[in-house]
Amino acid sequence: MPKILEVRNVSKHFQLHVQNNKRIAALEDVSFDMEQGEILGLTGKSGSGKSSLMKCIYRTYLVNSGTLVLHTAARGPIDLATATEHQVLAVRKSEMFYCSQFLSVIPRVPAVDVVAESLTRKGRSIEEAQAIARDLLDRLGLPRELWDAFPATFSGGEQQRVNIARAIIAAPRFLLVDEPTASLDQKTKDVVIDLVLALKSQGTSVVLITHDQHTLDRMAERRLHLELGRVRELATA
Amino acid sequence: MHYDDSDTGWLLRVRNLTKIYGEPISTSVQYTGPKFGTNICPETDAIVACAEISFDLYPGEVLGVVGESGSGKSTLVQMLYFDQAATSGEVLFSALDEGRTNLLTLSNQRKRHARNHLMGMVYQNPRDGLNFGFSAGGNIAEKLLMAGNFHVGRIRERAGYLLEKTEVPVKRMDNTPSTFSGGMQQRVQISKAIANNPPLLFLDEVTSGLDVSVQAKVLDLIRHLQRELGISMIVVSHDLAVIRMLTDRTMVLKNGRIVEAGLTDQILQDPQHAYTQLLVSSLL
Repeated sequence: MPKILEVRNVSKHFQLHVQNNKRIAALEDVSFDMEQGEILGLTGKSGSGKSSLMKCIYRTYLVNSGTLVLHTAARGPIDLATATEHQVLAVRKSEMFYCSQFLSVIPRVPAVDVVAESLTRKGRSIEEAQAIARDLLDRLGLPRELWDAFPATFSGGEQQRVNIARAIIAAPRFLLVDEPTASLDQKTKDVVIDLVLALKSQGTSVVLITHDQHTLDRMAERRLHLELGRVRELATA
Repeated sequence: MHYDDSDTGWLLRVRNLTKIYGEPISTSVQYTGPKFGTNICPETDAIVACAEISFDLYPGEVLGVVGESGSGKSTLVQMLYFDQAATSGEVLFSALDEGRTNLLTLSNQRKRHARNHLMGMVYQNPRDGLNFGFSAGGNIAEKLLMAGNFHVGRIRERAGYLLEKTEVPVKRMDNTPSTFSGGMQQRVQISKAIANNPPLLFLDEVTSGLDVSVQAKVLDLIRHLQRELGISMIVVSHDLAVIRMLTDRTMVLKNGRIVEAGLTDQILQDPQHAYTQLLVSSLL
């Protein structure tokens, strides 16, 4: 299988200028490869660097050294560590999606439109996108009366459903998901897992963070175990 | 660096844009800026409002400009909109002469043309963007007339359409803005700014004077118009929540210089410069 991501010698620390130049190490010399269509699970204790690594890939964090080469469909290989902001935005828009742990809600936008937006941005009509969004929210068990409500008022589990639907609907080529099944009941967990596995079967590559053993066992073929920001183990499940 | 000269496809390319008030000498730029904590030249008291500002803006992108009062953020957009003359620099705009002409060197007539046909501006104070002696519809008509539309029926039709888009009751079209609430005045200003379908829109602290519920509505409208019309925008705000909601990329200004530029989520979650870290850590 062709490679989708090649991470080499990535290190990341935070220099806190406002707090006596305190230095916080997050990642140290991290290297790994991912193949297209693969699901890679990131594991490790809280604070081991899982989310930091994911944010470095998405370019929310700037690495201090190393390269993160994503093999894009439209633009060939791009080093996300050094690409221009414009290039990163283009990749985010067309093929890389980050599903964070918490939904960052936009005020006054109904749930169905929050979800549909991922599709309308790609040029689908609003009506079409909304229909697909409703179907997805239905499968994820979000009560019908909430579809037109504002997610800011939702419970944690309801927001999580909206968040996942938003990530899945546009079938991104490269998906980063941070704790997709936390705060969901067992049945919905399995719906989420099935939806992501369906994307994978269509070629989507996924980086997954989860503390849930069931989710990890069902989804991740390979696991990258982090300890204090270093790769402790990279193994096939 | 924040930009790459070999990149193509930009809408606006700004290089070394500088504005100095007073009598600058050759070292005025050198001895001012964040390193010295001031924008006042130690020799001549000239004020270096903006210096060496360089960036590219791409079609459909929304660029945020943040910084404290006096950091030069309003001066920057005012220079781009020709409200203020720049001291030096280069501004290329792909919608004009295919991006080959420095906008700063245009004749006044061509500057007016660029401003009326290709750009829009929404000011913090509606009085700066609207003529309070005209009706709401009259204000929009003014912008349309300046771009060469003289058909009265079509102008009224377009004004009605724009007011509807910006959720201003069309039946209030013939009232003056002074009879409107602050949020409505801001929405009329937005209608006027986008009247000629400009590819580029400047927004200078547009929600600063409004209460929170009205603020949310205006931001919602801007987001909506941006998505629907694909306008590129430069959004000036000292409010990081506004920046987070509206922009893709952000530049942080201090003492007239860019101290940091990046993707908005990076600026907010992994700020590099001491000043940006202070700004973000002060966020409620």
